[in-house]
Amino acid sequence: MGKRKLAALEKVDADLVNLQYKIRRDPKSYAQEFYDQWLAYDAQRQIFISSPSTASTDDLKKFHDLVDLIAHVADLYPDLTGAYPDHLKELLNQHHAILHPELREKVVGSLVLLRRKDVIDSTSLLTTLFPILISTPSKTLRSLLYTKIISDLRESNSKSTNHRLNRTIQTVLHNLVTSDRTSTKGMWATRITRELWRRQVWSDAKPCDVMKEACLSDNEKVVVGGVKFFLGGDKSREEFEDESSDDEVDLKRVKHQSGINKKSKKRQKAYEKAIDKVKKQDRKKSAPHPLNFSALHLLHDPQGFAEQLFQKHLQNTKNKFSLDNKLLILQLVTRLVGLHKLTIISLYSWFVRFLTPKQAQVTSFLASLAQATHDLVPPDAIEPLVVKIANEFVSEASASEVAAAGINSIREIAIRQPLCMTETLLQDLVLYQRSKDKGVVMAAKGLQSLYREVYPELLQKKYRGKEATMGLRSGETRQRKFGEEDVGGIEGIELLEQYKEEQKAKKLAEQEGLPEGDEGEKKLDDEDDDGFHSDEWEVGSTDSESSGGWIDVESDGEDDVPAKKRQKTGSKAPQLVDGDKENVVAEANRISTLAMTSILTPADLLKLQELRREARVDQALGNRSKRKKELIDRHIDEGVTAEDIELPATLGKKSTKEERVALAKDGKPGRDEHKSTQAIRKSKKEAEGKSSTNKEKARKKNFLMTVGKARAKTKRSLTDTTKALRQHVARSKNGGRRRNDAPP
Amino acid sequence: MGSSNRKKKEKKKDFQKAKLKVGKANAKAANFTDTSFKSKSINVNQQTLEGDGSDSVEQFKQTLTTAATAKPDNLRRDALSYITNQISAKPPNNPVGTAGVLTKLLPLISDVSTSVRAHLLRLFRVLPPSEVRPHVEKILMYIRGGMTHLAADIRSDTLNVMEWLLEVAGDEVVSCPGGWLKTLNSFSSMLGWNPSVGSAMNSQGWTSGSKSTLGTKKGPEAQARQIQVLARFLQAGFQPETAAPYNPKAYWDNIYRLPATANPFAYLNLFGAPRDEDNEMYPDRISRQRVFDAKWRSSIVAGMDGAKKEGGTVGRAAALLGKALRGGLGDSAPLPVR
Repeated sequence: MGKRKLAALEKVDADLVNLQYKIRRDPKSYAQEFYDQWLAYDAQRQIFISSPSTASTDDLKKFHDLVDLIAHVADLYPDLTGAYPDHLKELLNQHHAILHPELREKVVGSLVLLRRKDVIDSTSLLTTLFPILISTPSKTLRSLLYTKIISDLRESNSKSTNHRLNRTIQTVLHNLVTSDRTSTKGMWATRITRELWRRQVWSDAKPCDVMKEACLSDNEKVVVGGVKFFLGGDKSREEFEDESSDDEVDLKRVKHQSGINKKSKKRQKAYEKAIDKVKKQDRKKSAPHPLNFSALHLLHDPQGFAEQLFQKHLQNTKNKFSLDNKLLILQLVTRLVGLHKLTIISLYSWFVRFLTPKQAQVTSFLASLAQATHDLVPPDAIEPLVVKIANEFVSEASASEVAAAGINSIREIAIRQPLCMTETLLQDLVLYQRSKDKGVVMAAKGLQSLYREVYPELLQKKYRGKEATMGLRSGETRQRKFGEEDVGGIEGIELLEQYKEEQKAKKLAEQEGLPEGDEGEKKLDDEDDDGFHSDEWEVGSTDSESSGGWIDVESDGEDDVPAKKRQKTGSKAPQLVDGDKENVVAEANRISTLAMTSILTPADLLKLQELRREARVDQALGNRSKRKKELIDRHIDEGVTAEDIELPATLGKKSTKEERVALAKDGKPGRDEHKSTQAIRKSKKEAEGKSSTNKEKARKKNFLMTVGKARAKTKRSLTDTTKALRQHVARSKNGGRRRNDAPP
Repeated sequence: MGSSNRKKKEKKKDFQKAKLKVGKANAKAANFTDTSFKSKSINVNQQTLEGDGSDSVEQFKQTLTTAATAKPDNLRRDALSYITNQISAKPPNNPVGTAGVLTKLLPLISDVSTSVRAHLLRLFRVLPPSEVRPHVEKILMYIRGGMTHLAADIRSDTLNVMEWLLEVAGDEVVSCPGGWLKTLNSFSSMLGWNPSVGSAMNSQGWTSGSKSTLGTKKGPEAQARQIQVLARFLQAGFQPETAAPYNPKAYWDNIYRLPATANPFAYLNLFGAPRDEDNEMYPDRISRQRVFDAKWRSSIVAGMDGAKKEGGTVGRAAALLGKALRGGLGDSAPLPVR
């Protein structure tokens, strides 16, 4: 008698994978088998729990396999496996320290699988995993749990924001940080928050609050984690966004390949997938940009936060943080002060003892000081610091780099608060432009040009320059008092108003047959509110005569003489520029009324944008009065770094040979061995998976294969030669390709 | 054109004699071994020449490990028979004690190899029953694992182990925590007489027989055997307790003497996890009868009736089971069984 054939499940080593496959295909019929395995799992679980630390490898393996099987089919038998998630949670909670790594991983994976099959919800999964993440001593388990937690949070926020879950987790993280300020456990809160912020899963104020608490922790690591988040979190978010948009699909290539390769379902699917991806990306591109506020802007009570941070970590002499970390904290504090224009007077006196050239990383301190300065800081608080920098750094005896850094940092401070400077000091500093060192010269010139714009009275007459002197005389450049602010408003609204008036005047002139002039202006005043229709805007041409000096509305002439003079000369310029003081004031009042009395239509806004752009072009061509403001804006956005301070010192330095060699090598193919450029190109091409060109192939072709054709060519008749040449010409006209159909 | 030439040259190179050059070192041979490294210590793989049979305790322990972990079937089997010999010798040589042997070898109940399982049973049979009794709860866990194993052979062999355990420690089997209800659970799952699975599915198939016995040639015999062992188990559970003979010292012993049994207050469950209904221990006959009545009676009786109708070996075994049921429950409630 032959061997009896065994059914698949009867075999002694019948595997659970096979059973799993069958159960999934037909859960009803295999309920009995599943129940058997459920009981087996139960027995194995009890064996394990009776002595978790001494379980034999055999038992562990069996248990591992059964856990796996049940996790995969648990969703099919909800009444039988109701207790299963609780079993796993209990197992993980109580025995995670002694569980075998493989089994541990399986249990975590099974829980996540149950979450994916919606057997348990995210909250219960995360509240199980999170305490273990914090308490476990195993590094592998920590990294596993970390990735699982992040991925689950991402997934549950992928379709729409799961506010409830986010709130729960954020509260957990917040409590974690605030409950024990001395422990390193807060690290995990900062790591998770930072990652989710980077991926834009969380972008509201609550994670910022968690990080704020982390900054106020007592543990150095946690504090640094929090501080780095505020200093670099937004940048890393942007970078990540760029990265993720980089992996674009080359649709053309995929299409080309599908035309050449054998057609199969798999390739077809790949092609469809690529199309989907491209479509999705297109949609993403055209979608409105999500409003992402910077973490620094989302902070609640920045004044209190900055004060606390400063008092706790910087002013406190018992604090033993390393210098690097203290500098990071200082950067954050000063950034907050500069950005939100906070007032922490004690900060400036604290700076004094760090402002010596011998202080380690003094340029960072200088940069921070510059960052901490803004126009609402009392000049009295900064003046001693500026004097100290000048005394310590800037002298004939000090090294040129030191002097350059000193002058440059003074300039950075003065950009933000020009009132911090005394006349004698400035004149002394400006004289350094006669130094031999190029870096010092540049720094001193920078300071001079700054003061030419903001406060030319302080400079000696011969250093003021033409424009500043003229501005002074005309009263255009006027020194601002402490705390003085620009009058706010919509940028360019005056341009729009002027444009409107012109259009109206033109229309009136057309209607009444009058030349545009005073009459039109009068009429315009009468029907100020209702007089225009937005459809007129499209036809209206933008007259070049209207541009003029409309930007500087607040610049009011103080003395009459130059104004009169200009009135005479500037007949071509628009009449409103050269009005006297009252005229300008009246103008300013009227400007504010446009936005107040009428609602700007979309067409208006478009026109406004256009006018603004024009005005900016004008400004770039000639008038450079707003350069200073742009400079300040840039710094507020990005903060000052030590590199900014050190920059002038690098000017005029001769580079070393290594640097020059590195510069020359930059961007050229790497040469590990001696090789020709051709060979390097070829190997690069091969590495990219590209084949050789037709020309190369022709060159390499065996001589004996070509010799016959060459011989035949010489023996051709004249007609044949002509024909061939004709074909050649025709081919080159058609793109140089041989077609399948023979030419006539 | 160039490539073929080059290849020819490369081929030739292998057969050319290396030229010796003045002032240059000889080329290294193909089998040259680099010995220029330095090491502070030399590691020699652990080897021992002695220890073969000289130390019987060590050897016993080593054999025990071999029996539990060795990969080849033959090794495991031979190790098991060696241990059996050692234990059955007079006087028995068992340096690790019955507890040690059991902890190591219990996972073998669901071993892949048939011969290993047979030898394991032989080994169990030579263990002294009095020393097995304290470990009944643990053995039962492995038996339950084996009874619901995927492979039919392992299931039927586990029944043999169950039979042995009922012989040596029938009382303990039915009264230990989880011993009564959980084991009944496994039995019914094995036989397919399971009420909970039916409720898990929306509709029940028209076949009443267990899926696990369908289509196998051994089917009827295996099922008959399962019913037999179930009958044995029920008999052990419903055995009328014999009243302990009157002992005048018992009262004082109870108060002042150390208890003779292991874990005498197990029923209080002072240190373990809280037990549910299945895990609870049912120490006396009345409680076992009550819980059997409530949970299992209807399904087992229904399954038994079906088996009786099948006739043959299965029918005979079912009749045996019926007898056991009648005997066990006769005094508590009338049975609706002929």
